[in-house]
Amino acid sequence: MKLEEYKKIVNKNSGKEDKFKNVFTSFIIGGIVGVICQAFCIFLNKEIGIKLEDASMYTTIMLIVVSSIFTGLGFFDKVVSFAKCGLIVPTTGFAHAMTSAAMDHKSEGPIKGIGSNMFKLAGSIIIYGIVIAFFLALIKGVIK
Amino acid sequence: MTLEFKNAYLKNSCTLIGRNEHEIEIKTDIILNDYYNGEKSVEQAEASFQEKTIKGLLKKEKLTIENIDVLVSGDLQSQLFASSFAARKINIPFLGIYSACSTFTQGLITASNLLDNKVNNVIINTSAHNLASEKQFRFPIEYGALRKKVNTFTATGSVSTLITKTPSNIRIEYGTIGSIVDLGYTDSNNFGACMAPSAAKTIYEHLKDTKRGADYYDIILTGDLGIYGVEILKEYLKKQYKIEVNNINDAGSLLFNENNLDKIAGGSGPICLPLILFEKILKGNYKKILIVGTGSLHSKTSCNLGESIPSISHAVSLEVLK
Repeated sequence: MKLEEYKKIVNKNSGKEDKFKNVFTSFIIGGIVGVICQAFCIFLNKEIGIKLEDASMYTTIMLIVVSSIFTGLGFFDKVVSFAKCGLIVPTTGFAHAMTSAAMDHKSEGPIKGIGSNMFKLAGSIIIYGIVIAFFLALIKGVIK
Repeated sequence: MTLEFKNAYLKNSCTLIGRNEHEIEIKTDIILNDYYNGEKSVEQAEASFQEKTIKGLLKKEKLTIENIDVLVSGDLQSQLFASSFAARKINIPFLGIYSACSTFTQGLITASNLLDNKVNNVIINTSAHNLASEKQFRFPIEYGALRKKVNTFTATGSVSTLITKTPSNIRIEYGTIGSIVDLGYTDSNNFGACMAPSAAKTIYEHLKDTKRGADYYDIILTGDLGIYGVEILKEYLKKQYKIEVNNINDAGSLLFNENNLDKIAGGSGPICLPLILFEKILKGNYKKILIVGTGSLHSKTSCNLGESIPSISHAVSLEVLK
């Protein structure tokens, strides 16, 4: 049997994902995370008097710390399974991936375990983040 | 290729569930409900599950390890960590086998063949650990990588089986060694779809070699295609081999509570098939049973390389004498 023909049988018999529901949940939850962060950022800026640029950096750090702690406590993965991209696309997903890899390899020791495996998934984000930042900076420099 | 066994009998088994995920409904000999069993890591915990079931089986049969001639074990970890480390404390001849979810049927065929030689008692051991296999084949565990409806869930536990030359009431009749089938399917989330063509081919070859019809068997138990995979298998068998089967069931879809099957497609792993066979099928009223272990032979590297997924199935037919 040809692959195309087989794929038809597979698609007919396999359970379908509810794409609309998934997108909707992700949108709402991602939006809520955004609102909380914006509120935190404004709070830091207006109430504590931190500069707006610094305040947004602190907000990102807050997001990473909180989601790492939640992952460590062991319930964040269940929330992510429900919220899907709503929590994977923000920095929470990055922190979550990093902390989980570290926890996974904890038993193999600090150097060969945690150290060398921690950025298993998150490594790609850092590398390509830096590469893209470089090119954007280059474009900005040329335009100026 | 189908082999006939003249003097191979299933004597007894010892089953263990490490953790009762997704409300496993069957009763096993040992239920731990613990991923770690007092060990430092999940990998070592899986080895300890194997030790526990071997001891449990010997105790049930009132045998000592000296009575066992060969130990045949398999699991899902790299270099068969769990099997080798469980076997190092038991000083008897050892064969480690890897065939993913078809490890149990491959073990049965290997062991039954050994019985034609000077061997009297063989223990077959299969184990799996959800966390160890997720770490091995997918993403970090706590990452909670998004599961699709077609994903199956590796069951945690271990099953030890004693095969003897001395007649018991379950005879191992035939063993069909399957060949690797690869249609070019690449979705590693949908294991049922990856493995269904190889299951179909093995069933077809088994029926052809033994000159039997599919309805000769009271039940054909595949392990484990999941709830969608078994439907794909039925349709594929009909279209490709013109075989219509109504007596087919899947170990993966029988393992968990039905209410959980809207989120996952069922159970999987080397222990799924023997668990259902010993605790459900053999306790039921079935006389002629065909078990078809289906294994997906991919690795994380092979998927990253963009390779399609090769799969294998081995079938063993059993006859309940009393």
